[in-house]
Amino acid sequence: MPTSLTETTRPGLSVGPTSEFSLFFHVKLGQEEGLREALRALQDTPGYRPGDYGMAVATIHEARFVLFDNDTRLAFVTSFDGPWDAYMEDFFTSGPTLALFDVIFRHVEGYEGLPDLAALKALIYGAQETAAAYARNYGGTVMEIRKQQRVNDAFQQVLDDPKAAEALQHRALKPLLDEAGA
Amino acid sequence: MATMVDNLTARQSINLELDDIQSGALHERPSPYVGTYLLLRIDNRAAGRELVRRLLGIVDSARPSTDSARDAWITVAFTYEGLKALGVPQDSLDSFAPEFKQGMAARAAELGDVGESSPAHWEKPLGTPDVHVALAALSPDSTRLEATLARARRALEELAGVTLIWRQDCYQLPTGRTSFGFKDGIGQPAVEGSGIAGSNPNEAPIKAGEFILGYPDETAGLPPMPTPDVLGRNGTYIVFRKLHTRVAAYRRYLQAKAKDREGAALLGAKMVGRWQSGAPLVLSPDRDDPELGADPHRNNDFLYRDDLRGFKCPAGAHARRANPRDALDNDGSVNVGLHRMIRRGTSYGPMLPEGVLEEDGVDRGIIFVFAGAHLKRQFEFVKTQWLNNGIFIGVPIDKDPLAGPNDGSGGFTVPEKPIRRRLRNLPAFVVTRGGEYGFAPGLRALRWLAELET
Ligand code: HEM
Repeated sequence: MPTSLTETTRPGLSVGPTSEFSLFFHVKLGQEEGLREALRALQDTPGYRPGDYGMAVATIHEARFVLFDNDTRLAFVTSFDGPWDAYMEDFFTSGPTLALFDVIFRHVEGYEGLPDLAALKALIYGAQETAAAYARNYGGTVMEIRKQQRVNDAFQQVLDDPKAAEALQHRALKPLLDEAGA
Repeated sequence: MATMVDNLTARQSINLELDDIQSGALHERPSPYVGTYLLLRIDNRAAGRELVRRLLGIVDSARPSTDSARDAWITVAFTYEGLKALGVPQDSLDSFAPEFKQGMAARAAELGDVGESSPAHWEKPLGTPDVHVALAALSPDSTRLEATLARARRALEELAGVTLIWRQDCYQLPTGRTSFGFKDGIGQPAVEGSGIAGSNPNEAPIKAGEFILGYPDETAGLPPMPTPDVLGRNGTYIVFRKLHTRVAAYRRYLQAKAKDREGAALLGAKMVGRWQSGAPLVLSPDRDDPELGADPHRNNDFLYRDDLRGFKCPAGAHARRANPRDALDNDGSVNVGLHRMIRRGTSYGPMLPEGVLEEDGVDRGIIFVFAGAHLKRQFEFVKTQWLNNGIFIGVPIDKDPLAGPNDGSGGFTVPEKPIRRRLRNLPAFVVTRGGEYGFAPGLRALRWLAELET
């Protein structure tokens, strides 16, 4: 997996296939409570509920919304597989993101509502700040990591079988046997 | 994909101004076909405008016709340098798409045209500021092509100040296939309001504004359009790429990786997503079905939802990458309708005779032609996000086995029971010989260009 830190012609730093994506908005005056409420409601939706994994967008590693400066500012910070700006129009025209976007960003300055795509893009480009430093502790896209989890679950299941030690003796399985001890 | 924007948009049918749109984009390629591409340089503004005036007389509109002479047609497109050479005012030049203004050669690193495919190695004059006008003539036979070309030649007669700088002939191979052996030109979007029936009954027609400027597109808005209105409306952006195919290397590779002829044919099909006859793997996973391949009512009638893991058609197959249909619907990040294209590709060079495994030094391949309203989110998106790497299918290092910029670092996975097949170190079977971004204006726009007074 390539781990070089590259600054591409696109906004945002990337490590391997993953790029950082951070947006900073100004909260509309008097909308602080409404926004907090919208974020509380968001935390209750599938994918965001405590214990849930599996957000509507399968290509982001995690997402956080942070209110700061006495709730006058909102940050949205995430890591995205691929260059995020190539997917901008996709976000704003496909179901899950669009709905999520609308209920939250209606509380920030500059949001004119749907479906004015040009205005939305301008809002996003205006709010995006490229990180000054960015690092990742693992390579791999969300899709690869989910696959790795499935494979590891299967491997653990194999190890739980009383016959596992014997079965793993085959030469072809040596790499798995090396991982089986601890 | 059901989108919220879809729901917000009234499903009104759109009235395309077919009389004003150039025939090329909406006109299906005949089969068989012969054709010629001509590139021109404008050295003198007045001569350039005279050329456009004369071309107006020979460029057809997209209005359907029963006149068989109209089965042959000419399309005209201009590069950014060409519009400059015609004296298009600066504020109007500025209003074109950024990628068009840069030109394809300047986009090379982004597009994966590197190494042997880089502009430094391109066939001259492709990718140079000399290319101003592109003419494409397509016809069902050489008699009608000659008649069409004769008209083009007359348009160039006694016109010092406009120079013919490149010519490329193309023709369908006797087999009806392209150089690697595959039937082409099958998967095309249905365009709302164009009268062209879609070939995939499972897919809703795509909004006309995805292909022709001046109409609502899949985002429910109007695509950004060059100004003034008369210049942009009914125009379309064009991508033109000459792609050399290494047929002998491709055949040797398949042979080396397969046990027998059937194995080689299957592996070849897995790389494309269709058998050589055009029969899609999703509908005929185990063997070629020439009848299915030849049947326009059935050969594109499929989705990937029953094959999400790719046991029939690998996720990395060229056609599945280039148009994943519904395969990404669960990802929540992709609206496939934003990344479609009209393809008008043709074949050039003679066939490498069946069974030959050594390169014969003859140039053969594909003239890839795209028509669409968005260079960036259609052609460039598909090339950079779907063909040039495998991030979107969970295998970042893998490139499209045919059209990706393969350099030996990527591989190709064929899902198979009990164990998947993994090919590594895929070499390049396709080399970019050059290309251009163009703008094919509507007929009123051509008149406007001819009558410029700057
Ligand atoms: C030499 C290079 C290429 C070869 C040999 C090639 C060959 C093919 C073949 C055999 C098919 C299946 C038949 C069909 O549906 O027409 C196909 C489909 C397609 N190709 Fe290519 N292609 C090449 C380059 C490209 C490039 C550069 C792009 C786009 C950037 C592209 C986009 C498509 C699309 C959109 C489809 C239709 C997919 C569908 O709707 O199912 N191709 N190509």
